[in-house]
Parts: sequence; C-alpha cells; structure tokens
Amino acid sequence: MKNVIEVKHLTKSYKQNKAVDDLSLTVKEGEILGLLGPNGSGKTTTMNCILALLKFDDGKISIFGKEMAPDSYDIKAKIGVVFQEVAVFDELTVYGNIDYFCGLYIEDKATRAQYVEDALKLVGLEENKNQYPKQLSGGLLRRLNIACGIAHKPKLIFLDEPTVAVDPQSRNNILEGIKKLRDDGATIVYTTHYMEEVEILCDRVIILDHGKIIAEGTNDELKALAKIEEKVTIEVAELSPKQLSGFENIKNVDTVSYEDGILKVVFGKGKNNLAEMIDYLKANRIQYSRIFAERPTLNDVFLELTGKELRD
Amino acid sequence: MFWHNYKYALKTLVKNKSLVFWTLAFPFILAIFFNLAFSRLHDYDVFEPFDIAVVRDDAYRKETVFAEAFGSLTRGDERLFKAKFSTRDEAEKLLSEEKVEGIVYVEDGQAHVKIKKNGTNQTVLKMATEQVAQSAGMINDIAAAEAERSGGAMNQFEIYAKAVEIVQNAEPKIEDDSHVMNVVSIEFFTLIAMACMQGAMLSTEMLNRCLPNLSHRGKRVAIAPTKKSRVILSNTLAGYTVLLVSVILLILFMRFVLGVDFGTHTWLIMALAAVGSLTATMMGMLLAVAFKMNDNAKQVVVLSVTMVGCLFAGMFGGMKIIFDEACPWMNKINPVGLITDGFYSLLYYEDATRFIVNVVSLLVIAAVFFVLSVRSLRRARYDSI
Repeated sequence: MKNVIEVKHLTKSYKQNKAVDDLSLTVKEGEILGLLGPNGSGKTTTMNCILALLKFDDGKISIFGKEMAPDSYDIKAKIGVVFQEVAVFDELTVYGNIDYFCGLYIEDKATRAQYVEDALKLVGLEENKNQYPKQLSGGLLRRLNIACGIAHKPKLIFLDEPTVAVDPQSRNNILEGIKKLRDDGATIVYTTHYMEEVEILCDRVIILDHGKIIAEGTNDELKALAKIEEKVTIEVAELSPKQLSGFENIKNVDTVSYEDGILKVVFGKGKNNLAEMIDYLKANRIQYSRIFAERPTLNDVFLELTGKELRD
Repeated sequence: MFWHNYKYALKTLVKNKSLVFWTLAFPFILAIFFNLAFSRLHDYDVFEPFDIAVVRDDAYRKETVFAEAFGSLTRGDERLFKAKFSTRDEAEKLLSEEKVEGIVYVEDGQAHVKIKKNGTNQTVLKMATEQVAQSAGMINDIAAAEAERSGGAMNQFEIYAKAVEIVQNAEPKIEDDSHVMNVVSIEFFTLIAMACMQGAMLSTEMLNRCLPNLSHRGKRVAIAPTKKSRVILSNTLAGYTVLLVSVILLILFMRFVLGVDFGTHTWLIMALAAVGSLTATMMGMLLAVAFKMNDNAKQVVVLSVTMVGCLFAGMFGGMKIIFDEACPWMNKINPVGLITDGFYSLLYYEDATRFIVNVVSLLVIAAVFFVLSVRSLRRARYDSI
C-alpha cells in the first residue's frame, strides 16, 4: 500500500514548550490511523502542521507524494477535515451549511446537490436538513460538523475528536459513518483520547505523549506491550489479610489489590486464569457476588509506558 | 467559487441579528429620534419666542459677524428669541431669577451659552448659538480666502458681503430656514457617517470567517482548495454590499419618510456614502487582521471608534467646534468628520473643491487601511491558531 502521508522529524514549539518533538509517521492508503494521547499530547498540533495551518520549526511533510504547503490546492482538494470545535454558521440551515462548505471544493451545482444529500444520509440528518444549528442537539450538531467536513468526498480525512461530548446514539452513528467512509476507500486519521473508539475503528494506532510517539502498531501489537494477559475483577464483601495474600500465590498472578469491596487481580500470562481463580474462591469458601475478566486495554499500555492513565 | 462564497456571505450577514441591528436598525432608530427631536425646529408656528440675555460687551462686539447674525434671530416677526442685551452681571441676575432661559456671551473669541436647567428652549438656544457661531466662522474663513484671492481689489465690506452671499446662496432651498437647517443637517449627516463607519463591523465579521487564526470556520476555509485572496475579496465585497445598501436605505428613509432636506445633490450624497462605506469596510478589515480578539470585543472597538469619530464630527452638539479649534487636524483624518464635512460642503460651497478633498482623503485612508491589512494577511501560516 502507498503512503498517503509521510511526516519526517516534525518539530513544533510554542515558545519554550515543544508541542511536537521530532515526530515521524506514515499513513497508508485505505487505513484508519488512530492518534491517541491525553489532552495536550500534541495530536491536534500535529494535525494542524500536516494541514499547513501552522508553521513548524523543523521537519518535512508530504501528502499524496507531494510536499504540503498552504497553496497546495491540488492536495487540499482531496482532503477533508472535521475539527474538534463545531464550525458552522448559525444563520444557515443544515443543508445550507453543508452546501456552503462543499461548494468550496465542488463547483458543479448538480454534483454538489448529490454530494450534500449523500452527506446528510451518511450522518443521519436527512430529516433535519431544514433546521438551523441552534435547533439541533449537541450530538446532531457534531454530526453536522462532520458532514460539513466530508461532504465533498475526500480521499484523505482528518477527524479531530469528533465524538467529544456526544450522546451514545450519536456516537454510534458517527462511528458507523466513519467505517462507511473507510469502506468507500478513504484514508482516515482519527485523533482522540477515547481508547475504546480507537480499538473499535483503527487499523493502526500511534500513541503520543508530550509531542512524542511512545508506541505504534496494531491494537494487538500495542496490547502486547502492556505485559499483562488478563485482568480479573471480583466483588467480595469481606476478605481477611490471609485470604488476600493467598491470591498472590495463584499461578501467573502479577499484582493483587483490594479496595472498597473490589478485588483486582492481574495475570501476566496464562490462558485459564479465570477458572483457576474461581477454584481458589470455592476452595477457600470466599463469598463473591460478581466476577469478570477482561483483556488489557490501550489504557493499560499507556499506563505501562508512561506511569499515568490516558485521561489524567 | 467566488459567487458561491459571496452568495452565502450575503445570506449569513443579513440573517445575523446583531450586525443587522447595529448597521441598519440602530441608525434608523436614531434617525427617527433625531427627527422627533428636531422636527419642531422647522415649525416656527409652534415656537413662541422666549427670553434670553445676551452679554453685549467688548468681546461680543468684536465678533461682528457673529453679533450681526445672532442679532438677526432676535429681530422681526419670525424671531426666535426676545433678547435682553445687558452686562454679564445683569444677565446672571436675570438667569438666577429665571427671567431668561439662558445667557449668550462671547469669551476668548468663542460664543457660549449658560443655562440654569435643561429643556426644549434651552436646547434650541444652544443649537441656534452653535449654528450661528459655525456660520460666522465659515463666513470669516471664506472672507479671508476671498481677501487673499482679490489681492486688495475688494474692500472689507465687499469681501464680507460676498462671503455672506456664498454661504446664503450655496443652497437656495434652505435659505428661509437656514438658521435651523444647518444644525439639523449636521446631525443627520453625522448619523449617515456613523452608519457608514459602523459598517466596519461587517467586514470585521467577514474577515473573521475566513482566517484560521480568528475562527474555527476560518480553519475550515483555510484548508479548502481556494485562494485566500479570493475568499477574502468575496467576503469583503459581500460586507460592502450589505453596508452600502443599508446606508442608501437610510438616506432614502431620511429623505422620503422623515423629509430631511438634502438639497439637490442626492447622487453626490450617495456617492460620498459609497466612499465612506468603502473606508469603513477597509477599517473593519484592518481591525480584523491586526487584533486577535473575539467577535464581541471587535464590535465594541468598532462602536467605540465610531462614536469617538461622531463626537469629533459634531453629533453630540457643539463638540465639533471645540475639537476643530483644539486639534484642527483631527477631523482631517477622522472618517466620520470627513464624511460629515463632505455632505456639509455639498450644501454650503459653490465649488466642489472641499467635497473632492474630503472624498480623496477618505479614499487615501481606505487605501492605507487596505495596504496595512494586506501586509498582515500575506503571512500565510500561523505560529498558533
């Protein structure tokens, strides 16, 4: 697969602070790349530099094989961007907003009308097309924001935290829409600090912290970095110190913690950890109300690599 | 793309309630208030001449043109005032005993009015005195120019007679009520100038929309495959269109609904309004690119700049005379002052020199604003957005 974006040694500082620090990345054609990191990790700044909106101190950026510059109109024509902030006109209807922004790319009126209808359908706003932004809920407004950014059917799409402050229904709609865009052949750079979305959507993930890439790979590759196999959580009303220390002796257990009636046991490796745990509970006649096991998340990866949680 | 952007820019501007209020509704409301306040000045029947005291001392006598002109308001059947010519002490006593509505006196070559309380009569006295002082100043200026032009061929009497004739004959239609027309006209002229300058808000808003460091919508426009200059030009043109239409509607409203007399130069008045609107548009453009502030802050700045300009230009009573004396250059660079003076010169000057000077000055100011804006805009990428 061809590289759609190539960033080499990108560095961007705000006075003394390095927002992006010698960052290099590539985005391959047809993939969804997740840029994951906590607030202030440099995700949006990286995106703005790639889009030639911001000056940067050092580095080289090329898109579709050409160097990106503010006047690279041929490249810009193939790009769609959905910014974190809702950027629409209160004075225009839903249809008017999409038509206006689409018109900055598509001059032919008939084509544009079809594209606007397609965008309305994609984000599920067909029934709201004559409403004004102020009449829309937060979730619908976000969907309009997305429609304005992708109506012209771009080949490369940047989505900067498109689901911030969105209700579950709209979030599902947005995520389904993004999958559809990928299925239609678009390459997508998806910026977020919601690891669940990255896990659902992204083919490849880059984790950023303090403007640097701290990990890169597929979901499974990254989770392998977490050095844990399984996390088991058990609701236990009472537990004596002796019973608690007994958990540490179970095979493959890495760490054990007990707080407010919740026991958390982390296994470093192994396949039948949950079964062994249940056996131990029964053998020691420990009463429990609920038990479940989960695989490591990208948050565990981030915790492993930085010592802090993604949403800190 | 140019017309697509222009069409939507127009659509969004005319639907923006805040902008429509300040650029269209507010001047209309002020025009109605001005009309209510000044309409009685045209109707002599409703005026009963009222008592005033005029301090006839050396300072008063020295200002011969003013003394003669003001005196004419105290004589005849259509007199405005029943004047008691007296000393300063006598006048003060009459005022303190409320036997007169106000005192007119001259000090340091300037006419002043002293009143004890506010009311319609006091307003009329103030406005009439200001207007007479302004006309007297104009006659003196014209006389000085005529004296220089004649090179000694005319005597003092002939010079002043000609100056008076120029002022009186400049606009025959208003000859009969010239003692009130001038003041009213200035107020309305200043109002048109204010409407033009407040239009700077439109271009400020239009620029905000297409620059990524000023708005989120600007970011969206900046990443589109369209030349920035083209978007800015179409947006600015849309702002100018809305402003010009608003100002022309205001002029037509004043002329045909409120019955304000603009003389016979309606087309030149429209042309001057167009140039004034252009200057305001360029000012708004500069304001948008030079200062990174939010929309509301920029609106406040535009309103403040416009109101200060109106103050210098004479919207709020006799301040124009004071500012013209204290800093004569101020109204040479004040767009509101230039627009107001342009209208005024159409009514009171036979030749078009002063009008043309005002128009050219406005165009120069617009050009300066434009060049400064373009210099700022040429930085294509930003350190931060």
